[in-house]
Amino acid sequence: MDRRRITVLLVEDEEIHRVVARAVLRAAGVEADEAENGAEAVRRVRERVGGGGAGAYDLILTDKQMPVMDGHEATRQIRAMGVTTPIVAVSSDSLPSDVQAFIAAGADDFTPKVTIHPIHRINRVLLLMCVPNAHDSRSDRLLMHAHAPIPCMQPLTKEKLGHILSKFGLA
Amino acid sequence: MAVAALKVQLNALLSNMFATGMVDEQFQQLQSLEEGGTASGFVAEVATLFIEDADRIIADIAALLDQPVVDFDKVDAHVHQLKGSSSSVGAQKVKLACMHFRQFYEAKSKEGCLMALALVRSEFCDVRNKFQTMMQLEQQIEACSPK
Repeated sequence: MDRRRITVLLVEDEEIHRVVARAVLRAAGVEADEAENGAEAVRRVRERVGGGGAGAYDLILTDKQMPVMDGHEATRQIRAMGVTTPIVAVSSDSLPSDVQAFIAAGADDFTPKVTIHPIHRINRVLLLMCVPNAHDSRSDRLLMHAHAPIPCMQPLTKEKLGHILSKFGLA
Repeated sequence: MAVAALKVQLNALLSNMFATGMVDEQFQQLQSLEEGGTASGFVAEVATLFIEDADRIIADIAALLDQPVVDFDKVDAHVHQLKGSSSSVGAQKVKLACMHFRQFYEAKSKEGCLMALALVRSEFCDVRNKFQTMMQLEQQIEACSPK
C-alpha cells in the first residue's frame, strides 16, 4: 500500500515559533513548507493548486498577527481560491471573538499559542490527517478535536506515529 | 570535570529552574522533543532565539517609555510579542511579568509601565543567566563525551 505523505504549510512571522512548530512536525515525521506572512502563504497555495505542481496542502497552520498580510486575510484569500484544505489558526489572541473571527474568515479550528496545548493539538490534527476518510465531515471532526479535553501527554514521536500509521495501513 | 559530574550539575540546574517556576511545562515539552532525537541542539536554539528576541524587545519598550509622549499601542505590541516568545520557550516568570504589564499600558500609566518593565527585565535577566549556564554545561558535556 502507498504511504501517504502529509504536506503542511506553516504560516508564522516569528522565527522562534517557526523553530518550535518545525520540531513538533518533524517529531511526527512531517516536513512543512513555511511562509513568513499571509501574502507568502497565499502565493504558495496558489502555486501548488494552480501550477500543476504537488497539489493542495493537507493542512495549513497560520498565525494571526503578521506583517504584509495577516492570518484572517490570508485565510479568506485561500478560501476564495476554492481551496478546502483544513486551516488551523494558532494565535495568542484567544478570546471567543478572536476564535469566531478566524472561523468566519474560513478557518476550521483554532488553538491558542500561549500554552503547551498547540503541540498536543497539532499532534491531534496530524493524527486526524492519517485516518482514512478524514476529509469526510472535516470541519466537524476538527472542531470535535478542538473542544475535547486535553490529557497530560507527551507529543507524538516519529516512532509512535509510525505505529499508528501502520495500523491504518499507511506506513 | 568528568562528564558524570557535569550532568549532575546540569540536572540540578534544570530541577532548580522548574522548582522555582522559572520555566514551565512548555520547556519540558521542548526537552522531550530534543530527547526524542529528531532535533539535536533544539532547546539551545530556541533559548538563544528567545534571548535575542527579549533583549531587542525590552530595549524597544524602554525607548518607547523614554519618549515625552508614550505610544501605548506600540508598547502593547512589543509586550505581546515578548509574551509569545517567552511562552514558546516556557520562560514562565517572564510570561507572567508580561501579563502583569498589560494593566499598565491599558491604563496608559507611564509610571506603571516603567515598574512593569523593571520586573520583566529582572525576570528576563534571571532566566537568561540560567539558560546561558545550561548551554555552557551542555557544550562542556558534548566536548568531554567520547566521539
